[in-house]
Amino acid sequence: MAPSPPTIGEFSVLPISIPPVPSFPRNVVHYLYVRRNAPKIPTANDSRSLFLANVPVDSTELHLRALFASLVGAGRFESASFEEERKEAEAVAAALDAAPAQAVRLLAAHGKKRKREDQEAAERAEEEAAARLPSTWTRPLRKSGSTAVVLLADEKSVQQVLKAIAKVHKSKKYPKWGGEGNVVAERVPQLGSIWLKAHNQLSYPDRDQLQAAVDAFSTMFARREREAAEIAKRLRNEPDEDGFVTVTRGGRTAPATRNEAEEAKKKMMDKAEKKKQEMTDFYRFQMRERKKLEQEELVKRFEEDRVKLDAMRQKRGKFVPEA
Amino acid sequence: MEPGSAKRRKTGHSRGESAVGNIDAAASSGLSRGRAFILEAEELLDEVKLDYATALEGVDSLLHKIKGSIEAIETHDALQIAEAATKLEKKHKIQIPFPEPRPSKESNYKVAFAKPSQFNVVGSYVSKTMIKAQKSHAVDMVVVMPGETLQEKDYLDLRYFYKRAYFLGVVAASLQKHLAEDGELSYEYLNGNPLSPILSLKPKVEGEKKEGRLDYRVRIIPCAPDNFFPKSKLHLGATLVRKAGGEDKAATKPTPFYNSTVISESCFFPYLKLLRQTEKKCAAFKKACILGRVWLQQRGLGSDMADGGFGHFEWTVLLALLLQSGDNTRGHAPLSTSLSATQLFKAMIQFLAVTNLSEKPCVLGTATVETETAGPVLFDAARGLNVAFKMSNWSAGKLHQHARWTRNLLNDSTADQFTPTFILKADLPWQNYDLIAHLKYDAKQDRTQPTDCRGRVWEYSDKAYRVLKRALQDEELGERARSIHIQLPKSSSWELTKKPSTKQNHTVEIGVLFNAANMTRAVDRGPAAGPSNEEKEECAKFQRFWGEKSELRRFEGDSIRETLIWSSTSAFDLCEEIMRYILKLHLRVGYLEDELTFHGDGFTELIPIKTTDTSVFNAARKAFSSFEKDIRNLDDMPLHVRQIAPICPELRHASVKVPFSTVSKSGPRPLECVISFEASGKWPESIVAIQRTKIAFLRMIGDLLERSKPGEVRSYVGLESSTTTNTELENLAYLDIVYESGPAFRLRIHSDLEEALLTRQSHDKTIDQHHRHQASVLLSNFRRLYYHLPLHTQSINTFATRFPALSPTIRLLKHWFSSHKLSSHFSPEFIELVALQVFLCPYPWDKPSSPSVGLLRALLFLSRWDWRSEALIVDTNGDMPSAERSAISTRLEAWRKIDPLMNHTVLFVATAQESSGVAYTTVNGVAQPSKVVAARMTALAKTACRVIREEGVELDARRLFVPSTKEYDVLFHLSSKALKSVAGEDPLPLPLSPIDTFFEKLEAIYGSGSSAPLVFFRGGEDEKVVGAIWNPTLGKRAFKVNLGTSYKPVGAAGVSGKKRKGGDEDGEETENEGEVMVEVNRDAILSEIARIGGEVLERVEAQRE
Repeated sequence: MAPSPPTIGEFSVLPISIPPVPSFPRNVVHYLYVRRNAPKIPTANDSRSLFLANVPVDSTELHLRALFASLVGAGRFESASFEEERKEAEAVAAALDAAPAQAVRLLAAHGKKRKREDQEAAERAEEEAAARLPSTWTRPLRKSGSTAVVLLADEKSVQQVLKAIAKVHKSKKYPKWGGEGNVVAERVPQLGSIWLKAHNQLSYPDRDQLQAAVDAFSTMFARREREAAEIAKRLRNEPDEDGFVTVTRGGRTAPATRNEAEEAKKKMMDKAEKKKQEMTDFYRFQMRERKKLEQEELVKRFEEDRVKLDAMRQKRGKFVPEA
Repeated sequence: MEPGSAKRRKTGHSRGESAVGNIDAAASSGLSRGRAFILEAEELLDEVKLDYATALEGVDSLLHKIKGSIEAIETHDALQIAEAATKLEKKHKIQIPFPEPRPSKESNYKVAFAKPSQFNVVGSYVSKTMIKAQKSHAVDMVVVMPGETLQEKDYLDLRYFYKRAYFLGVVAASLQKHLAEDGELSYEYLNGNPLSPILSLKPKVEGEKKEGRLDYRVRIIPCAPDNFFPKSKLHLGATLVRKAGGEDKAATKPTPFYNSTVISESCFFPYLKLLRQTEKKCAAFKKACILGRVWLQQRGLGSDMADGGFGHFEWTVLLALLLQSGDNTRGHAPLSTSLSATQLFKAMIQFLAVTNLSEKPCVLGTATVETETAGPVLFDAARGLNVAFKMSNWSAGKLHQHARWTRNLLNDSTADQFTPTFILKADLPWQNYDLIAHLKYDAKQDRTQPTDCRGRVWEYSDKAYRVLKRALQDEELGERARSIHIQLPKSSSWELTKKPSTKQNHTVEIGVLFNAANMTRAVDRGPAAGPSNEEKEECAKFQRFWGEKSELRRFEGDSIRETLIWSSTSAFDLCEEIMRYILKLHLRVGYLEDELTFHGDGFTELIPIKTTDTSVFNAARKAFSSFEKDIRNLDDMPLHVRQIAPICPELRHASVKVPFSTVSKSGPRPLECVISFEASGKWPESIVAIQRTKIAFLRMIGDLLERSKPGEVRSYVGLESSTTTNTELENLAYLDIVYESGPAFRLRIHSDLEEALLTRQSHDKTIDQHHRHQASVLLSNFRRLYYHLPLHTQSINTFATRFPALSPTIRLLKHWFSSHKLSSHFSPEFIELVALQVFLCPYPWDKPSSPSVGLLRALLFLSRWDWRSEALIVDTNGDMPSAERSAISTRLEAWRKIDPLMNHTVLFVATAQESSGVAYTTVNGVAQPSKVVAARMTALAKTACRVIREEGVELDARRLFVPSTKEYDVLFHLSSKALKSVAGEDPLPLPLSPIDTFFEKLEAIYGSGSSAPLVFFRGGEDEKVVGAIWNPTLGKRAFKVNLGTSYKPVGAAGVSGKKRKGGDEDGEETENEGEVMVEVNRDAILSEIARIGGEVLERVEAQRE
């Protein structure tokens, strides 16, 4: 195999040797792309974290811990967060949060952000966790080619890791996936048939657990809806900086539901349609014009047929009887 | 007003359309129906036109040469026939092609030879109606035997034919001498008629064969002078061949075929004249004849007796007669000469569709015809000839049937009329007949005396046909077969020095087209046994025909009837049983092992399809309705149940395996349904909240059910294993309900508010594009699950009842897809619709009546379907307006314009209920199948059709289902032991089969769209090998984060090169200056899959690197 380049752009290439598997007995090299973490919105831990691209699909935190231990020794690795997990958490939070979406949008339109106290945020996170449904898999898999962020002990460790990666290229001694002798495999939930079997069982969660999650959600949802309604009510009476009052749906008592509004609109359109229909073919000129249109349509269709036929002729052989 | 009305001329007789000669006129008069048909037919005429100068190069000089050499033959006076024959045969070392029985040695007929009185070229060469696609091209030259060598009495006892054969022998001897270097001479029968041998000359081609030159032959046909024989003596009922056996005259049967052949011998010129006249009168006549020729040829009909005896010549004569004025009732012709070619063609089809020549003699002109002469009659009174004399009862039936089918097609303005009428080859045995039997005929065994001169095989077949027709097409009993056809062996040409082949053994092919509704009947109720004489006679007749099989039985209502009890159950077996029995009884065949062999049931054994399957499917439906009742009877439901609809193939007669068939320890297979409630304002106004509420709702339904039927029902709420990322917005859970008695159901809740919210989101301009797209994907998933699937299930169910062969056809087709590891790429609904289309739009045939025919036609459809530019429109209601059809086509065009590479939309399948066209061919916004897979489907179907065509009747059904694993880059061998262990001990229904779970998870990880590195091909559940192909579009590319799959850097040497900044000559690298390229890390991916699979994967085999 041709030696891999030590870097691609700002990424260092970290080759990982993957031990053979009984069903696929080959020595395989997987390439991880590593660089210093520099997200668009900087956070406090950026300086001591690394950004990993193309993590193997069966990665776990333990896998990465073993990997970094073999590079720079134990004790430097703090934690890892995977793209999927981050995204999923965001999506769930967004979905749960967006529940009373209307209120949020109103607030945004009004140029106000909901201020959340730290304590409140923690409370919400707890609430959301309770409302989440149990997972059906014992071990999550990563999407192929996805990323992860690894938090190390300090800035120096980052330096060391990058240096160690450069050294790997020279020594040609690639770190092993799952640690020496694949020790990690025994400490993480097994894949394969056991994993599939567990999925079958987890797909039917315990009733009470499920009910609890649903209940937690509904309490949370009800509370937020109430909050939203209050906000909407308040906004109706409150002029903004420029002195305008936002018009929100509904009368003095309660905002109308969207459904009712849509139904009303549909009714109106139906009415208009009916009125329009009554007026067709009323005058003779209308009739004449319609006939003219129909005739034009016929000629047009004929032309279309001819074009189609030409297209068919392009594909030779269409007109030859099959032998 | 319309500009075309001024041009409107006299109306044609057969149709009410205005007579329009050319296309432009058609356009201006607004003739809309069949517009395309006219244009396409014109195009076809252009395409098949023959360039006579190059195609038949040198024919004129050859004809002159032949004429010259025949004229030069020495005449001689009358000699004893035996003497003259031996002399000629000895001198020239050739045989004289005497018809059977050959003239006896002592017969004292005299033969002479004199210069022919006339030569002429006749047939399609002179009328210029030959086409390119003809099977063989021949130029017919008639040579009129001089009157002085013949006697008027010669029409008796084959005398004319002996003289004719001698004449031909003399001509052959002379031509052999003079024209040996011009071509090959051989004898053949004119249209397979054993009475009229002719001489054929195949010219030799000197040097290189020119392009466009055809392998034609010149046929030299001796004939009698015009009107030489007295027609009054030659009527159809006359007996003109007396047996040597000395039977008394009264007992011998009439010889209509012989008589007609004699007349036809002197009719070449009258018909030539008739056709020339008609050509002059009617401009479109020739074109209509060419259209007719193509139509007949595609249906395997021809002038040859083995091809049915109705070919181009018969077509032209019939058309000419219909265009002739005078004899008809009101003095004018049935058809107007100003009709266009397509109109004439349609009129002919109409005529043939309403006249069954074998049932009612058709007389053109005024003449009386003896009707008792069984056989097709198409009598031309002016020339006194039964034009259809070469036809048999079965070929008349075939002609009639094809004409009816084509008429149905021409009346269906929505279907493509042109292709099935002219392009498709419609005579393949397996696409026509449900059962094919081979009957071995051995002349040695046949002791019957031939009565007419058609040959013994023909007469034997005719007898078999009559017996079978009575047995299978008895209207009193209820017609079992829609048609029976017999294919006779064809006669071939033979050398001058040999006698015509006297092969003793022939194989006669009998094709039967079932009437699906009646063929499965196991008990036939014959006539009632009553005291009256009539009834007694009826019974006696019945017994005589059916022999000892017929027995008396008492039925409900105290009627006692002659009854036949058959022991088989399936349509095919019943037909075989009846045929074996009745042929044995009346023809004494079937005693020997291979005398009678049957073909056509190979397909049903594959799945297998049993006759009891329908009742199992019905039992599943019944179980569903009792489940529905149980739910509706629940007392404490907060909302009123509006509908519970089944959505799975098991509940629409469409699953490969019948329901309840797998009794595995992993619990029963749940039958999927959706439940919808009355509209309610209680649903929360948020999709996320709706999904959670559904869970609570499902739980409640489960609890209520368990409480109402304690001990009988268990229920489990299961969580969906989602494949998309926005899990919270999708349906989250389902309820599995397991009855102790066996059936299990899976229930999902439909909430209409969810749809309203999704619709709103997908149109909401205030949220970003990504979310809007997500919402529309979810919306289409929602609509498929809750609207389209219930409707689809309902309509397939209805059609399965209406077409008995539909359900097994669907199952066979699904089996075909899964055998070729395609089933994971095609939704079952798509496959069902393809099968249904074959039934709803069966042209050029009628709807299939057996699963094998259904499957083969479905494969034919798939092989011909140009899905790149055509939508599959399944008209499930039967009344789709053409505006909607064109709207669907326009939608397809629009898709192709937006997405010419077909990344998002590939197959476009619309039905009356679902006109968007993509509901069954896109999943989660990704085309399913993708373009590559769809192309593979077409390629496989094409191969299958080629095999079907090549193998003919001998087709081994299994061959179509043998998968090939060569094409796959990677093979995943699954371990059945590990898969079994996944199922576990808990008898819960599985959320999905383990293979599906595993590969769906893999597809979720690696993606399933056009950017996925691997495309998996897997078949049914029992499949142990899964194939995969590396995506060829994922080549080398520049590195960036989130490439979507595992990549490895390539070309480490190139790295330094790139740092030199453009100083590199390498083409590939100058393109992507300064970047390191990466490519898919295939080994790493396979290793990942092997790690995920664990012991489930026995072996990962990379066939190609």
